[in-house]
Amino acid sequence: MERTFAREVGMLRRGDGEYFEGEGILAITKALLQSGVSYVGGYQGAPVSHLMDVLTSDSKGLMAELGVHTEVCANEAAACAMLAASVNYPIRGAVTWKSTVGTNVASDALSNIASVGVIGGSLIVLGEDYGEGSSIIQERSHAFAMKCSVWLVDPRVNHPRIVDLVEKSFELSEASNTPVMMEFRIRACHVTGRFATKDNRKPEFSMNDPIPEPEYDLDRIALPPSTYLQERMKVEQRFPAAIKFIRENKMNEFFEGDCDDVGIICQGGLYNSVIRGLQQLGLADPFGKSRIPIYCMNVTYPMVPEEVTEFCANKRSVCIVEEGFPDYLEQALNATLRKADLNTTIVGKDVFPKAGEYQSEVMMNGLAKFVEGAVPKGIDLAPVAAVTKAVADNKAYAAELLGAPIPKRPPGFCTGCPERPVFSALKLVQQDPEIGKMHISADIGCHTFSTLPPFNMGNTVTGYGLGLASSAGVKDTLKGHTISIMGDGGFWHNGLSTGITGAVYNKHDNLLIVMANGYSSATGQQQLPSSTAGGLRPPDTVVPIENALKGVGVKWIKKQYTYKVGRMRNLIKEALTSSEKGLKVIIAEAECQIAKQRREKPIAAKLLKSGKRVVRTRFGVDEDTCTGDHSCIRLSGCPSLSVKPNPDPLRKDPVASVLTSCVGCGLCGEVSDAAVLCPSFFKAEIVQNPGVIDTIAHRMRAAVISMFQGKLDTREPAASQSIQPDTKVAAE
Amino acid sequence: MSALPERPISMVIGALGGEGGGVLTTWVVRAAEMCRFPTQSTSIPGVAQRTGATTYYVEIFPAPHEDLGSQELVMALYPAPGNMDIVVTSELMEAGRMLENGMVTPDRTTLIASTHRVYSVVEKSAMGDGLFRADKLDNAAQKLAKRAVLFDMATLSQKEGTVLNAIVLGVIAGSGELPIPVDNFRKSIRESGVAVESNLKGFELGLAYMSGELKLPNAVPEKKIPKARPSAESLITDVLATYPAEAQAIVSEGVKRLVDYQNPAYAKLYLDRLSEILTIDRERGGERNGWALTVETGRYLALMMSYEDIIRVADLKSRRSRMERVRADVLAKPDEPIHVTEFLKPGFDEMTSVMPSWLGRPIMNWARGKEWANNYNFAMRVRTDTINGFMRLWTLSKLRFYRPKTYRYQEEQKAIEGWLNTVRSAAALHYQLAVEVAELANLRKGYSDTHKRGLQNFTRIMDKVGVPCSTAAKDPAWGVNALSKLRAAALADPEGDALEKAFSELDAAPQAAAAE
Repeated sequence: MERTFAREVGMLRRGDGEYFEGEGILAITKALLQSGVSYVGGYQGAPVSHLMDVLTSDSKGLMAELGVHTEVCANEAAACAMLAASVNYPIRGAVTWKSTVGTNVASDALSNIASVGVIGGSLIVLGEDYGEGSSIIQERSHAFAMKCSVWLVDPRVNHPRIVDLVEKSFELSEASNTPVMMEFRIRACHVTGRFATKDNRKPEFSMNDPIPEPEYDLDRIALPPSTYLQERMKVEQRFPAAIKFIRENKMNEFFEGDCDDVGIICQGGLYNSVIRGLQQLGLADPFGKSRIPIYCMNVTYPMVPEEVTEFCANKRSVCIVEEGFPDYLEQALNATLRKADLNTTIVGKDVFPKAGEYQSEVMMNGLAKFVEGAVPKGIDLAPVAAVTKAVADNKAYAAELLGAPIPKRPPGFCTGCPERPVFSALKLVQQDPEIGKMHISADIGCHTFSTLPPFNMGNTVTGYGLGLASSAGVKDTLKGHTISIMGDGGFWHNGLSTGITGAVYNKHDNLLIVMANGYSSATGQQQLPSSTAGGLRPPDTVVPIENALKGVGVKWIKKQYTYKVGRMRNLIKEALTSSEKGLKVIIAEAECQIAKQRREKPIAAKLLKSGKRVVRTRFGVDEDTCTGDHSCIRLSGCPSLSVKPNPDPLRKDPVASVLTSCVGCGLCGEVSDAAVLCPSFFKAEIVQNPGVIDTIAHRMRAAVISMFQGKLDTREPAASQSIQPDTKVAAE
Repeated sequence: MSALPERPISMVIGALGGEGGGVLTTWVVRAAEMCRFPTQSTSIPGVAQRTGATTYYVEIFPAPHEDLGSQELVMALYPAPGNMDIVVTSELMEAGRMLENGMVTPDRTTLIASTHRVYSVVEKSAMGDGLFRADKLDNAAQKLAKRAVLFDMATLSQKEGTVLNAIVLGVIAGSGELPIPVDNFRKSIRESGVAVESNLKGFELGLAYMSGELKLPNAVPEKKIPKARPSAESLITDVLATYPAEAQAIVSEGVKRLVDYQNPAYAKLYLDRLSEILTIDRERGGERNGWALTVETGRYLALMMSYEDIIRVADLKSRRSRMERVRADVLAKPDEPIHVTEFLKPGFDEMTSVMPSWLGRPIMNWARGKEWANNYNFAMRVRTDTINGFMRLWTLSKLRFYRPKTYRYQEEQKAIEGWLNTVRSAAALHYQLAVEVAELANLRKGYSDTHKRGLQNFTRIMDKVGVPCSTAAKDPAWGVNALSKLRAAALADPEGDALEKAFSELDAAPQAAAAE
C-alpha cells in the first residue's frame, strides 16, 4: 500500500474526552466506529481509498476487538451487496467507493436494496471524484439518489459536523428504512482538522456476538408482488419519515444575516467556499458570519419543502449554489416554491456556470453577480465590483507580462513504471509495415496514461475492466488490427467475466494485453488476488492470472517481462500474425516501481550504512554524441529522462539528459536497443562499499586505460573549462 | 484578549506529483499547530496527479485556539486568486502557472520559487527545441509579487545532498511571512522522523539564504567552451583576423571541432569553404543582418563536416574527460568503481561508413532497397570500463586517419558541396533565403532510422523548394517562408504527418504562403 496508517490507528482508538486530528476521510472512518458498525466493505479509489486501507491493514487488531467485519470487495457491486446484511437484521454497516463510476457499478445492488429497504442503519460513503484532480467522467451522484429513493447527505466541511452527520445518517437510515449515501469531494476527504472523540461503540450483533436466527420475510424480496408494495412504501412511509427526521434533528442548517430580503441556499459541501467568496467580497467574516442569510443543505436529497419555503418566504431573491449538471436542486426548489405559491426569484445557473467545479474564483464571481443583480438592502455594491475587477485585472496583467500561455503539464507514468515499456513496444510494433496502425481499446488504470503524450495511444476508454469488451464491435469492422488493454486491477474487478469469458465464448480472434504490475496501483497499491506483493505474500494465497485465463478456456497465453522491449514487440507481432484462432493474451509482468522502491530502498540504505557492497544502477546520456532529436523521449516519456540546454556551442537543440531521479529500470537502454536509436545511452553500475576485488580490478583497469588515454589526451586537451563544477559534485 | 486577525494566512504550494509536496505541507502545518494556531490543509492526491502539476493548500489563523472563545472558524478548501499571502512552487514553470492563474498579487503575495526547470513531456519530446521560453517569467514575478524569492534550489539541494522541499521550508521560515518561531519548523522536521539530518541541513541552507549568509555561486554557463588544441591556434588567429566579431565565436568553435574531429588540414578545408560564404555575405550586406549567413553556414558546415560515424562515437566514448563526466553524472564517489555499459547497434550504414569507398559503395547500392538489409543490425554491449571493451573503442577511434578514404566521408563531402552551392546561389538572389537553406542542415541529425528520415526530409525539401528557389525557378521570397514552415513541420513529428500536410498546403496555395 502507498502509505501506512500507524499513527492514524492510534487516533481511531481514542475515546471520550480526547481529540482526533487528521484527514477528513479518516475522521469519517472514526465516526463509523463511534456509530457501532458491524461490517465495513468497499472498493478502493481516490479519494476514499484510505478508509478501506486503514481498516484492512494497520487496524486489524482494533476491528477484531470490536467484532467489526471488514472486507476489500471485488468491486463496487460486491460492496453494495454487502448492505444486504442490514435488510433482515438490525445491524449497522457502511460501504464505500469512488463515485460516480463506482456507483454505476454498484447500481444493480443499490436498486434492489433501496427497494426492499433496510432495518439496520446503512451508509454508503461516496468519494466524489469531481473537478480538479479528478480522473473520471464528470457526473452527479444525485441522480442515483433520486432514481432509487435513497437519501444523499452532502455535509459542510467541518470535522465535528461531519462526524455528527455520519452518526445522524445511521439514525436517519433506520428511521426511514432506507440506505443513506454521503458524498465527500476530493478536498474534503483530504482536509485536515480535529474533533472531540467519543468511545467506539461495540455493535450489538457482530462477529463476536452473532445474530441467533436467520430471518425469512417475503416482503423483503425484490420480486413481484413485493416490489409493488415496496414502491408504495417508499412514497408513503420512507419519504415522509426521512423528511420528519431531517427536520427534527436539524440536519440542515440556517445561518442568519442582516440583509434578509435575499438569501443563499447551498449544498453543504460548498458552504466553506460560499463563506470565503462572501468574505472576499466583504460580506462575511472568517467565523462564517454572513450579511446574507444562508440555508445550508447538508441533506441534498430529499429536499425538505417546509424548510425551503420557510427560508424563501419574505425574500425577494434567493441564490441556489449547486455544483454540477443537471441543476436538480434548482428545479426542485422552483417546483416547491410554485406549489407553495411563493414568488421569490430563484437565481442559480444563470449567475453560476452550468458545468464544472465551483472553485474560489468561480464562486466569488457568481456570488458577486447575484448580489449585483439582487441589490440586497444595506449592501454597497461598489466595493463588491471593485474586488472582482481587481482579480480580473491582475490576471489580465499577468497574461500580458507572461506573453504566452504556460504549457500544460499532463500526468504520466512514474519514473521506472513497468507499464511504460509495453507502450514503447506497441509504438515500435506499429512502425512495422506488416502491422501498421492499430485500434487500441484502452482501459482504466495507470495504463490509461498511454492516451497522453508522448504515446498518444488508445482509441477508446469505456470503463474499468472493459478494455476487451469494448473491442467487440470494432474488431471485425476495422481493416487493421484491434487490440485491447486491461490492468490486473480491471481484470479482477470484472474484466475476467465481462471481457475474457465473453471473448472466448464468442470466439474472438484478437490480442489482449494484461498489465500485471501486481497491485491496484492507480488507487494506492492495494493488493489483488494475483498479487505476490513482491514475494511477501504466501504463494498459496495467490491466484495467478494465468490460471484464471486457462480456467475460462484461453489457449494462447504468454507471459513477458515488460522491460524487455524487443521481446515484447516480437511477441505482440507473433500474436497478431499467428495463424492460431482464438483469443490471445499476453500477460505483461513487472512489479509496480513505487511498491518495489518502497520495499527495496530502505533495505539498500541499511546495507549501505552497514558497509555492505551495494550496486546502484543509473542510466545516462553522452551529451556530445546526442544530436538532440529526442526519439528516445518519444518512445519512453520517463520523468527522469529529460533534456537540458545543449552544452555544445555549435548546436542549438537541447540534448537528452538522465536526471538523478533515475531508478535504473533499464528502459532507456532497451528502447535504444530495440528501436536502434543512437549510441548515446550508457548504463552505469556504481559499486558502493566496494570489496577488495572490486577495488583491485578497478585500479588495474583504470591504470591500463589511463595509459592509452594519456596519449590521447596530450594530443587533444579537450577537457572543457566548465567540466570542473560537475566533477566537484561527484567528489561530495 | 487582543483583537483577532481579520483573516487566515493563505498559502498555496504548487508542485509536481511525486515530489513530496505533502511532506512540505505537513511540516508547515505542524509548525503552526505548535503555536496552537488553527490550521487547515488540503490536497488533491490521486492518479491524475502522478508526475503532473498539483497543488497543496494551507490556511493558518494566526491566533491561538483559546483566543477564539466559542467562535468557530470557517476555512476554505481552495486557493483564491487575489487572496494569497504565500505562493510556493518547486519549479519555474509552475511559478508561471501561479502567476497566470492570478494567485500572485502585488498587495500581499510573497512568491517563493525554485528557478530550475523540470521540462514537461510536451517540451522535451519535440524533435528540435520545444522548450518553453521562461525569459519573461522573472520580470512578471517581480512585477506581480509583493516580494519574490527566486533561486535555483534544485542545484543547491543536489550539491549539498539534501532535498528541495527542506530548502523551501527554510526559505518560508526565513521569510518571516509566517508568525511562527523558526525553531518550530526544526521541531517539525524532527517529529516527522524521516531523513532528519539531511532535511535539517536543507532547512538551514534555506534560512541562511534568506538571512544573506549564504551566497550562491553564479550559474554554470550553458555552453561548454573547449580549449583549443595547440595545432588549432594559428587557424583561430586567422579567424579572429578575418571574420567579423559576430561570427568569430561560431567559426572558432568550428575550427576547434574539426581539428579535434580530424586534423588541422580538415579545419583548413572548413575555413576555405566558409571564406567563399563570407565574401558573399560582405557583398550582400551581411553587416545589416548580423552576419547571419556566415554564422549559420559556419555552424552547420562544421556540424556536417563532423558527422557522427562510429569512429567519432568511439573516439568520444573512450576519452578520459568522458569517463570523468560519467562519474559526475551518476554521482559516483571517488572511491566507488563504476561499470559502464554502452549500447551499440551497428547495421549496414555504420559498417560501410568505415569501409573504403570502392567496397562500401557497391555494398550499399546492393543493400539499398532490400528491406532485411535496411533493418539488419546487431547489438553490441561494450563495457568501456574494462580493458577489453575500452580497447575495442580505442582501436576504432584510431581509424580516424583513414577516415577520408571511407565511403561515408566521400558521400558526406558530396552532400556538403551540394548544400554549399545552394546556399551560395540563394545568397545571390535573397539573403534570408540563403540563411534558411543553411539552417535546413539541422534536419541532418541523429543516428540510424532518425538519420535516414532526416536525410530524406532534407533532400526532399531541398529538391522541391531550396534548389528551385535558389535558381529563381520559384519565387525566392516565397521560398523563405516555405522553407521555414517545412523545416518546422519536419521537426514536428517523426511520422512525417506534419511535413506531408505542410507540403500539401504549399501545393494547394502557393500564393497564400507567399502573401503571408
